[in-house]
Amino acid sequence: MESTTSYQRFPKIKIREMKDDYLKFELHSTDTSVANALRRIMLAEVPTIAIDLVEIEANSSVLNDEFIAHRLGLIPLTSTRAMEMRFSRDCDACDGDGQCEYCSVEFHLSVRCDQDQTLDVTSADLISSDPSVMAVDVAARSTSSGYDASDNKGIIIVKLRRGQELRLRAIARKGIGKDHAKWSPAATVTFMYEPDIHINEDLMETLTLEDKKNWVESSPTKVFDIDPNTQHVVVVDAEAYTYDDEVIKKAEAMGKPGLVEIYAKEDSFIFTVESTGAVKASQLVLNAIEILKQKLDAVRLSEDTVEADDQFGELNAHMRGG
Amino acid sequence: MNAPDRYERFVVPEGTKKVAYERDTKIINAASFTIEREDHTVGNVLRMQLHRDPNVLFAGYKLPHPLQYKIIVRIHTSSQSSPMQAYNQSINDLDKELNYLKAGFEVWNSGVFIFFMMMVTLT
Repeated sequence: MESTTSYQRFPKIKIREMKDDYLKFELHSTDTSVANALRRIMLAEVPTIAIDLVEIEANSSVLNDEFIAHRLGLIPLTSTRAMEMRFSRDCDACDGDGQCEYCSVEFHLSVRCDQDQTLDVTSADLISSDPSVMAVDVAARSTSSGYDASDNKGIIIVKLRRGQELRLRAIARKGIGKDHAKWSPAATVTFMYEPDIHINEDLMETLTLEDKKNWVESSPTKVFDIDPNTQHVVVVDAEAYTYDDEVIKKAEAMGKPGLVEIYAKEDSFIFTVESTGAVKASQLVLNAIEILKQKLDAVRLSEDTVEADDQFGELNAHMRGG
Repeated sequence: MNAPDRYERFVVPEGTKKVAYERDTKIINAASFTIEREDHTVGNVLRMQLHRDPNVLFAGYKLPHPLQYKIIVRIHTSSQSSPMQAYNQSINDLDKELNYLKAGFEVWNSGVFIFFMMMVTLT
């Protein structure tokens, strides 16, 4: 019964720019639905590690306990381990209290101000029980790769004056952005259709230089320019086009409709991915592909559903036959 | 307070099937698949893949309500196929597509890019 005809696509990828926390790439020969699924997954379903439970031992700072707990949760932690880690709710090693080594990382913070100057409590004061999980800005200091770490003072949690103290124990757990935005590994993920711009050269040459300049200026972004030697209008940056239709309207207003034709290539996408630093941007894309695969695998029909339907089919055929 | 747990949005409750299949009682080769705890991410990607199958006469999905964390995928096929066959086929094809994409991405990720950048800086 199963036919073997496949309607599979063979998408191509081309990376334009790759940094630890930034990635720009082209995705070709696939559908918007796949591009958008990847975007949605990067934002809300790729797991990271974030502080989820805070036990405050002493807090005489100006901020209340909940306020500090919330600020701690929002600190991005290095989460390369997150894909292999267990969710606390699925963890059978710790009977659901979510405090074992398989599903959690413990942090301690103990700071007291004994000077006249205000003391900043930062992410650097968080002491991790697992060296692979720490605040991303602290990790960037030691590896020197990524962004400039020289004037990196850490992420400020609270400021203390003389005599104030903050002591706490925090449990970081694996989670996803759908649960709470603190677990989202992505700062921004965007994609756009690749534009395909055709200038009608013959019609363009009927314009005076002044008209050409006016037309080129009508675009809010710098897409076109005039070649200083030949005085031809050329496309300098097709991707700067924001699909605003301004140049098309301008051409019509000038009485030259069809001066330029702009199409969106609906199977070519330009992605930009910015990571919070929890995982590398390139790893984030790979994780998103993996998660989409897992999600699709999870929605396969179970054996008993298929069997039940086969029986139903037989019954149906029997009834029709009888 | 009485706020429901946040994880209810993505954890399938115990005793509930992830995918429930229901044949249409009046039209042959038509069926609905109720997928628990999924949204547009999976719904739209499945719908578009089903549209590539010429035996699929209709494929659509709906998210009935934003607070009911499920989607309903409806498939109507020609007599050459069946909703279940088209559904399985679309998942298999998407899985293969993603494997291909992943392999393509890993090639770029593993050194080829560094080589490429060196070529650019040299020329």
